Amino acid sequence: MSTKHSIAAEKFNQDSGRVTRHDQTFWSVRSKRDGLAYQLEEWEQLRESANLIKKHTITHLADYLEQFETNARKNGVHVHWAKDADEYNDIVMQIMREHNVKKVVKSKSMLTEECHLNDNLIRHGIDVVETDLGERILQLMEIPPSHIVMPAIHVTREEVAACFREKGIIEKHGAHAAEGLLKEGEDWRTSSDPTYLTRAARYHLRDNFMEADCGMTGGNFGIAETGDIVVCTNEGNADMSTSIPKLHIVSIGLEKIIPNYKAMGVFQRLLARHGTGQATTVYTSHFRKPRPGAEMHIILVDNGRSSILGNIEHWQTLKCMRCGACMNTCPVYRRSGGYSYTYFIPGPIGVNLGMLKDKDANYHNCSACSLCMSCDNVCPVKVDLSTQIYKWRQELDSMGHADPMKKMMSAGMQTLFEHPSLYTTALKFAPLANHVPAFMTNIKANAWCYGHTMPEFAKESFHTLWKKGKVK
Amino acid sequence: MSSREEILNRLRGNVRETYDFPDLGFRKLEFADPVAQYVETTVTTAGARVFEIKPTDDLNEKIREAYPDAKIIASNVPGIKADKNPDTVERAQDLEDVDVGVIKGEVACAENGCVWIPQTMKEKAVCFASETLVILVSKQNIVSNMHEAYERIKFNDYGFGTFISGPSKTADIEQSLVYGAQAARGVTIFLTE
Amino acid sequence: MKIGLFVPCYVDALYPEVGVAAYKLLCSLGLDVEYPEKQTCCGQPMGNAGFQNKAEKLVENYDELFRGYDYVVAPSASCASYVRFFHEGIVKHECEAAKRTMDLVEFLHDVVKPTSLKARFPHKVSLHNSCHGVRELGLSSPSERNVPRFNKIKDLLQLVEGITVMEPERPDECCGFGGMFSVEEPAVSTRMGKDKLRRHIATGAEYITGPDSSCLMHLQGIARKNGEPIKFIHVAQILAAGL
Ligand code: SF4
Repeated sequence: MSTKHSIAAEKFNQDSGRVTRHDQTFWSVRSKRDGLAYQLEEWEQLRESANLIKKHTITHLADYLEQFETNARKNGVHVHWAKDADEYNDIVMQIMREHNVKKVVKSKSMLTEECHLNDNLIRHGIDVVETDLGERILQLMEIPPSHIVMPAIHVTREEVAACFREKGIIEKHGAHAAEGLLKEGEDWRTSSDPTYLTRAARYHLRDNFMEADCGMTGGNFGIAETGDIVVCTNEGNADMSTSIPKLHIVSIGLEKIIPNYKAMGVFQRLLARHGTGQATTVYTSHFRKPRPGAEMHIILVDNGRSSILGNIEHWQTLKCMRCGACMNTCPVYRRSGGYSYTYFIPGPIGVNLGMLKDKDANYHNCSACSLCMSCDNVCPVKVDLSTQIYKWRQELDSMGHADPMKKMMSAGMQTLFEHPSLYTTALKFAPLANHVPAFMTNIKANAWCYGHTMPEFAKESFHTLWKKGKVK
Repeated sequence: MSSREEILNRLRGNVRETYDFPDLGFRKLEFADPVAQYVETTVTTAGARVFEIKPTDDLNEKIREAYPDAKIIASNVPGIKADKNPDTVERAQDLEDVDVGVIKGEVACAENGCVWIPQTMKEKAVCFASETLVILVSKQNIVSNMHEAYERIKFNDYGFGTFISGPSKTADIEQSLVYGAQAARGVTIFLTE
Repeated sequence: MKIGLFVPCYVDALYPEVGVAAYKLLCSLGLDVEYPEKQTCCGQPMGNAGFQNKAEKLVENYDELFRGYDYVVAPSASCASYVRFFHEGIVKHECEAAKRTMDLVEFLHDVVKPTSLKARFPHKVSLHNSCHGVRELGLSSPSERNVPRFNKIKDLLQLVEGITVMEPERPDECCGFGGMFSVEEPAVSTRMGKDKLRRHIATGAEYITGPDSSCLMHLQGIARKNGEPIKFIHVAQILAAGL
């Protein structure tokens, strides 16, 4: 019984060049991160502080949420609470109806993805436009993200160009975008130059910013002491989305609240360094009050988070600030791609969050880990990612999702290893058979032989050598 | 019970062990010459330009020098000759065609090039929708790291502020770095005494 | 000092020469080494597969068997690490033997601290820093972290006459073995192994060496399948070369 992840990963691996590109793309981000880490003497102190601040905040979260709410209200901001995705979507729709919203410009938010906001808006006849370039590309291509920070990095420039042509963006903005940009003889109708495509998207999105009646953002942080919502982007799309329309709706998970500016200093220094290997994002914007003549709403979303706090083994996933570093370093993610996972967040944190969301749907991702522990050492807030994956594996059997092959092998090993005499006998016969030792009898020879030759058994095991007095 | 009560109760009920806020007294990155480091960071990694402005310089001339082709300049900074004023435009949309927005930064950070820009105008769109930005920064207000920056920044009644480190950028298409995603395509820092 | 030698199951069956080398090496350093015969496995294969509960009895046996030694030494980083960091959690009580279980390299470097060795190995080797050695036992500084750089395996190997020690690019990226991971995710596991192998070969080394025979077995299986002539040798065998 192979997991869905392993099946999808095998498919992904049929195109070796693609695996190489994917691996190198994310390894280069990891390397940039390392470069910044080595430059900063206080790096490990920052990580440990971030870990402790998160632990502190999460174990005092109710108090901090109340403080945040009080301050936000004082600032003239509307605060809403949503216990789950349905209630969240209802609140959004209600605000939009009150303001007669027809078009929304939206900056990247994994929470809205988690709550399937876009589908819901579209169902209600609202035009929703993603404004992060990567997200916009995915939206136009109608495919999901494959990474939480660089969601469209797996799409090639040619695919982007084809999509922009198909959607009329090139026809409308191509000539303008090409001005002074394309080389002599290069045709803007067919070019797939990234700078040119980005510029075409810029003009396309500009039109949308100007027309929208609502801007939606996520929030990287909410600051309890002041009521600020902090949004970090490189493109400035969150700022464009909120500088023009007269309505700003923030969607934020409960766990994104932090106490104060002291904490903010720590996280600001860690987020971009970990996520993209930059010393900072270009924009770190603090939204405290609505713009003159505008309205600002914050929706605090639970959707399972308050229950996770009660989970002894897995509550530390709440520390996660969605930087993506654990994906970038994960040797399995880099060689299997975001779409091999059954949950929309891939990589080590995605394996864990997926299990917390829906075990039956997502246990398939538990195989996607060699337990190398690189993620634990990369994570800016020290989520114990690999330990948690190890623990999920221990639970699979009682959930009825254990791999029968692994179970049989483990049971076989149990018998053998609990009985030294049996074990010694098995060892004696192993070299005779010399293809599969007794305790590996049920190994799927096929799976091992996929990439390996069989290991050869020694003529005499160490045990035998010892017994015969040959170890001297 | 409202969702608010339900969530807060569940959170309170699910806490087993609590943790203290840590001591952040560890030594933090300090530069011997934060101004020089700020300039270095800004022109290299942040992708902006830095113009050193002498007290005798005419700012308006310097803006022309920085962006000679600019047709529409927007600013509410006293003394800047502007075609549009973000305080008096009717709608944010009116700032869409601005070539150069001239704004003031209050604190700048050497480690990453961030400049704190509090909203001091009715329409902050001037900070983002303008094709390019000129940001005025005083050498007196440059700090080494973000911890210091966060101690210094202040809000006014507009209730918005942003750290900007350079031009808007993206690497979403095949990881190739492109300046000028959705917001300003170019940034020039005017470093004043 | 009384040392219990733990020769984990797969070393026992597949690489007895590693156990022999470890034994000789420890004896040559004047240590009193015993090999309790009733030993089997550390339990890691079951644990990583999700069945650590099936290892309870085995853990108790291990504790009983090795409790009386000053140190338990195993020529296998990931097994030593599993014993030390997981055994108590499996049986939910303290385990004397687990606390005093060390990997061979770790034990030599931190406890015995030899300043010279008799070994001679005039070859170029590429050092395989295995994950659990790096990130659990701390045999070298993890590349993810900003800590002073060190490598205990390299330090020991430098005591060997004639040796040239190289490290591959991405020196501590996982090779993709991961126990059951290799049979459950064969495509990714193999790809990881191939990438690792290529980087080792690129150093120009004749041998790949490391403190973990399991990683070496995985890489060797891939090398043979792909007709790569590079040789494999456990660190213990190099340190004991010529004994
Ligand atoms: S678990 Fe850690 S490394 Fe992974 S996304 Fe969250 S904060 Fe980043």
